[in-house]
Amino acid sequence: MRTAWLALAAVAIQASSGVCSADRSSCVPPASLFRSADEAGTEEGRSGGGTQASVTYTDTIAPLLADRCGMCHHPGGSAPFSLLTYADAKRHAAQIAAVTERRYMPPWKADPSDGPFVGQRPLSESEIRLFRQWLRDGAVEGDTPAADVPTAWTDEWQLGRPDIVVALTQPYTLPSDGTDVFRIFVMPIPTDRARFVRGLEFRPGNARVVHHANIRIDKTTVSRQLDEEQPGPGYEGLIARSAQYPDGHFLGWTPSQVAPLLPPDLAWRLDASSYVVAELHMEPSGKPEKVAPSIGLYLTDVRPTRTPAMLRLGRQSIDIPAGDSSYTITDSYVLPVDVDVLAVQPHAHYRARDVRGEATLPDGSTRTLIGIRDWDFRWQHVYRFVTPVHVPKGTRLSMRYTYDNSADNPRNPERPPKRIRWGQRSSDEMGDLWIQVLTRDDRDLERLSRDFRPKVAAEDILGYEIEIEKHPSDAALHDDVALLNLELGRADAAVTHFRASLALKPNSAAAHYNLGTALSVAHRLEEAVVAYQRALAINPQYANAHNNLGSVFTAQGRYEDAIREYREVVRLQPDVPGGFANLATAYARAGEFSRAIEAIDAALRLHPMESAASELRRQRALYLQRK
Amino acid sequence: MRRFLATGVVAALLIAPQRSGAAQLRVQNVDGTFVDPLAPVPGVKAIVLVFTSTDCPVSNRYAPEVQRIVAAFSPRGVAFRLVYPNPAEDTAAIRKHMAEFGYSGVEGLRDPTQALARHVGATITPEAVVVVGGSVRYRGRIDDRHVQLGVERPAPATHDLADALTAVLSGRGVPHPATQAVGCYIADFAR
Repeated sequence: MRTAWLALAAVAIQASSGVCSADRSSCVPPASLFRSADEAGTEEGRSGGGTQASVTYTDTIAPLLADRCGMCHHPGGSAPFSLLTYADAKRHAAQIAAVTERRYMPPWKADPSDGPFVGQRPLSESEIRLFRQWLRDGAVEGDTPAADVPTAWTDEWQLGRPDIVVALTQPYTLPSDGTDVFRIFVMPIPTDRARFVRGLEFRPGNARVVHHANIRIDKTTVSRQLDEEQPGPGYEGLIARSAQYPDGHFLGWTPSQVAPLLPPDLAWRLDASSYVVAELHMEPSGKPEKVAPSIGLYLTDVRPTRTPAMLRLGRQSIDIPAGDSSYTITDSYVLPVDVDVLAVQPHAHYRARDVRGEATLPDGSTRTLIGIRDWDFRWQHVYRFVTPVHVPKGTRLSMRYTYDNSADNPRNPERPPKRIRWGQRSSDEMGDLWIQVLTRDDRDLERLSRDFRPKVAAEDILGYEIEIEKHPSDAALHDDVALLNLELGRADAAVTHFRASLALKPNSAAAHYNLGTALSVAHRLEEAVVAYQRALAINPQYANAHNNLGSVFTAQGRYEDAIREYREVVRLQPDVPGGFANLATAYARAGEFSRAIEAIDAALRLHPMESAASELRRQRALYLQRK
Repeated sequence: MRRFLATGVVAALLIAPQRSGAAQLRVQNVDGTFVDPLAPVPGVKAIVLVFTSTDCPVSNRYAPEVQRIVAAFSPRGVAFRLVYPNPAEDTAAIRKHMAEFGYSGVEGLRDPTQALARHVGATITPEAVVVVGGSVRYRGRIDDRHVQLGVERPAPATHDLADALTAVLSGRGVPHPATQAVGCYIADFAR
């Protein structure tokens, strides 16, 4: 049956981001950053003892600050102050000791031993003690001059000059006051043809207030329309479903973290007339701030040969009782093919405390992919493995998140705590683990996508049902969840939701049409006929409704009625071969082979796709014999 | 001076400032004039010192909240002073900072030797001190938004400074006269 569906934005397997290319030195942090715990222990003997010479800035502190802190704490950097001179460091010595001891700085929430991850700059316990020791010793400068501070960072584009720069033309003014602001900016990408993208670099335009950015690509104008509906640059609300990670690639930004360029064979396709959609998390600074983000795109002419897949584990059935201090969700998925895990991104809101993802291999061994003991919603980060993690077919990928919805969780926005359920707004709760994987080849990718898609669609349906409970008169929610149900073959559930949508907009021909389509998939043909006829009573020129009604009549053996509907289709759409092809089938079923052949010839004159054309020629031969 | 470290321990006893040696209590206002920050002013029932520094993101983000408290309590006889203990911040930098963050109805004071901070026991920016008739009646956080460095509530649950002022103005005792402020360390400026 031919149906013209509402456009269904694919949500499940989304493309996302980065692999470290071997030729990018920025991908591979110096080996010294990955000192093991044992090595850290030996270092202790060297520098932690009581009778050692005092710790000085020039010998010990300056290199540590430059290596672990300078990325942000340099003049003009994203941090509120520089730490690159003795005077700067001395003036923050107590601060440095305190924030490193609490592991608030450098900001890295994941257990570094689960990586190594691109860009991690952990301080060992003994290094942290050095800052405290320096403070106790008087924060002295030392006799030897400090070595020149390495300037591995630049305030220009980190990846070099971009091929395309997309910028917010009118800056957004962040108010001085209030809670954190989440605002979505939509910027058209000036391309007139499809391009392939190797890299995307985000520049916040005011790094001191932009805490992180969630970036997607929208091939439709949906995001732009949402932007236009609100005054000023950007809009507040949810990222549209049509704004997606492109071809299985994460896009996003946290301070000082730039995703390395992709190897050209892994580039993603950027269609003409697309939009960059960037959701910025901004923290008011105490005074009004101008924010004008820009995005650089790095292109390649090489058509990519490999496409990663984005898997998403997580639960949309989250329902945490008020006061529950240890609510847990788990989810898992068994891989039908071998993959390399390239990157992971956990996502949850304020109440999540412990976030964990792991892979259990078929031999029973486990590999932790991510572990965050003190989840902080404010540090959203894509964790890219320096070396992709290979896991074979049959591996179980799993996640386990724990939430604290009690009054003892200071990050709990509700006082007193209240029951909280799944939802995309930060006042709701979420629990997703995005896992970016690369399959061996496209055939495996196809197998993985086919296998995984129903899982994520089923989870999305749960989320939609919660949204519908909250917003029962939102017809679009009913339409979306109906489509997901149809995708999973749950035609009766689709009928229920399309009926609900129709009840909200009874004069919409499309709503009757959608209901008819779900009814016909459910083999409720009599009801389908009624629905299509109502659609046509509202809009007699509705070619798709004539077409689908014709198909239902054909299935019912009502060939004369079917022929009447298809004749209307070809009258309304004389350029579309499909209507003629369907008309031919109805004539043939009615035994009118000459007319069937005429209709096939009309279809063939309209240059259908070759696969359809060969089928038409085969039918034509058959009808000639029958005739 | 280096011994002046913020330890994270809330002082249980508040010490009345010693008014001996008036020279120790001279700080510079934004015009460069030396003034006694705690000298009684006719009609002023309480003096609030708010310690701040230009590059501390925590104290900066409090600017609008401080302004709200100033607007609420100035008409009720409370004088507000914004104290900058960082010697690197001169009067021009202080004036610029106050203009950028929209402070008004507040007197900016420069405390480059941290004499005033020591006198009233302030260790953190931002930290508020309420002085009535020469004694400290409240010292600590403005509100409880920051639990510790890196742990923030989405919104404060208790408004400690405003509550203290309300209590003082109504002649009641301050229920929690000492709280732990969270932010940047004044000790760092004493080095």
